[in-house]
Amino acid sequence: MKKLLTAIAAALAGSIAAEAAEPVKIGFSESKTGLFAQAATSQYQSYNLWREQVNAAGGLDVAGTRRMVEFVSYDDQSNPGKAVQIYEKLITDDKVDLLLAPWGTSLHLAIAGVIERYKFPVVGNTAASVQLRKLKAGNIWFPTSLFPDRQSEVLAALLKDRGVSSAALVTNQLPYTQENKSFVVPALKKAGIELVLNEDYPPDVKDLTALLNKVKNAKPDAVLAYTYPADAVLYMKGAREIGLDQQTQVVLLGPQYDFFGKIFGPARNGILTMGHWTPARKDWPSARAFADAFKARWKTDPDFLDAPLAYVSAEILQQAVARAGLDKDRLRETVAGTTFATINGPVRFEGVMNVALPTMISQIQGGTQHIVWPPRERTAEAIAKPAWK
Amino acid sequence: MSPPCFAALLALSAAAFAGIPFLAGDYAIGVALNLLMWIALTQSWVVLSAMTGYVSLGHAVFFGAGAYAMVLCFGSLPFWASVIVAGGATGLLALVVGYPCLRVRGPYFVILTFGLAELVKFVVINIEAALGQFGRLLFGGPGLAEIFYVVLALAAASAAITYSVRRSRFGAGLRAIRENEEAAETLGIDVARYKVLAFALSAVVPGMVGAAMVMRTTYFEPLDLFNPITSFTIVSIAIIGGGDDVPGPVYGAFFLVLLQEMLWANWPEIYMILLGALLVAFVLGVPDGIHGRIASWRRARG
Repeated sequence: MKKLLTAIAAALAGSIAAEAAEPVKIGFSESKTGLFAQAATSQYQSYNLWREQVNAAGGLDVAGTRRMVEFVSYDDQSNPGKAVQIYEKLITDDKVDLLLAPWGTSLHLAIAGVIERYKFPVVGNTAASVQLRKLKAGNIWFPTSLFPDRQSEVLAALLKDRGVSSAALVTNQLPYTQENKSFVVPALKKAGIELVLNEDYPPDVKDLTALLNKVKNAKPDAVLAYTYPADAVLYMKGAREIGLDQQTQVVLLGPQYDFFGKIFGPARNGILTMGHWTPARKDWPSARAFADAFKARWKTDPDFLDAPLAYVSAEILQQAVARAGLDKDRLRETVAGTTFATINGPVRFEGVMNVALPTMISQIQGGTQHIVWPPRERTAEAIAKPAWK
Repeated sequence: MSPPCFAALLALSAAAFAGIPFLAGDYAIGVALNLLMWIALTQSWVVLSAMTGYVSLGHAVFFGAGAYAMVLCFGSLPFWASVIVAGGATGLLALVVGYPCLRVRGPYFVILTFGLAELVKFVVINIEAALGQFGRLLFGGPGLAEIFYVVLALAAASAAITYSVRRSRFGAGLRAIRENEEAAETLGIDVARYKVLAFALSAVVPGMVGAAMVMRTTYFEPLDLFNPITSFTIVSIAIIGGGDDVPGPVYGAFFLVLLQEMLWANWPEIYMILLGALLVAFVLGVPDGIHGRIASWRRARG
């Protein structure tokens, strides 16, 4: 009898081990080298944090069965052509069970064709362009709400509320900032805000002082700097140097990132920026937990943009797989038709867009990022930017 | 190799590649497409740089300009017609910029071509910004197999061009320029015309390749399509392959693309380090390239 029990126990253990040994393979391409390498790091960190948390909790719930998560990832060199090839390889050669998204708008757009061809659902994350709405709904979704057209309207409303009647706009010539410019110019006009200066600068600009002097001479109420992270640093240094003391300064991309805080410390307080996530939201209880776990794992704070978005996309996938399993058709229906609870609040898709998350404007206050507009979403009142020190 | 022999070999290789879409999955087609792309780009580079000694570090400009031509034609012309327009446009671009550029030599020419490529990139960025375009989506284009056959044809054409230029009077003139430009001029070679022609000839195929390849990602953004890495890779392949004839780029492209693919697929974490170390070892150990090494083996065996 004892022998029999031992045998049964051994058989059971064997079958459990066999099941546990069959991990869920999740593939994605990573921009480890090239143009996006620095910016893409936090996406990778969020993915890995999620994987470690899921595995520590006993594995991914695949329609009732727990299975460990294993990543298959390759460096796309920030190259859309390479990303296309990688997703083809992941699907046809590595035969992964699930896919996560690559980094940035251009790579999301590039892989849209591949995942459409194989009908392989992917929840996107770090992409925001009105062009994404042209994508066929069904295999790709975007949890963000930072679409330039809506973002411009919300920003104009905030500026109007703050009594701004004139603004100066300087814009990087890269796609995302240009797209924002094309929508904010009419939005400002509609809000009755006069645009006293509107100039572009090249993506590899080394010094913005001359341009910022022009801004200073134009004496606008508000300065809108439509930057990418590298030139956001130049803006901050230049603005401080020449004493650009407007109380309303918007810096589009840069202040969200952890490195920005490390360079500027309290000097970034009062800067308005884009973003729809903050650990300060009380009605998103897991937001703070995510920020703490991220900090504990990577010894650095998450940024307020890419890190949470990457995590949100993984959470959506996790909840969809728990309901639908790994079958692509069922998964697609589930992602399209379910409301998900995430660190960024509820997510519900209509077409390719998340309709549950309103567009918001954020501000750096006390070293963290708060939502300051629209009023019903905010975690803090917008403040006037303190003078440079 | 005699012309009939070369033609037969070229036809055979092309036929072998042509079978790939019927036999292999998309991933393998993608790898083969990459291989063909680099062969076509490097063959074209050889016509100018290996033959005349004027090393271009800016061939990405033709790749990007061709892609941009495709973007502008997209929707109004069929795919193959746009590819031809792209080739014509980049050839013209080379004629226009070649004349002033080819007046400088050595390192100055290298830097000038690099600068030119960056200049054109920022001109295109400016044009796109002025047009209110923020990256362009190209939906409803050709499938993978169609792109593959176009690039296959371009690779074959570029090999044929390199072969015939090298064995022509024109090619002899180009090599004379490489060995001693003044002497070549005294011998009655119209060096200015020869150089500009070689420049234009080396620009047409890369333009067409760029036009075809932008349809692979269905997305155009100047920073990607005018990426200087394209120029660097072409030069690396030419150096690895060695020589100023057809086999060099083929060996080089096979070596680099397959090696990169193998390292990338098996050691994704450290493949860049491995690749870098192998390239350094290669340049130190085989300075005259694979083609040069094979040629010297043959000579040694008599």
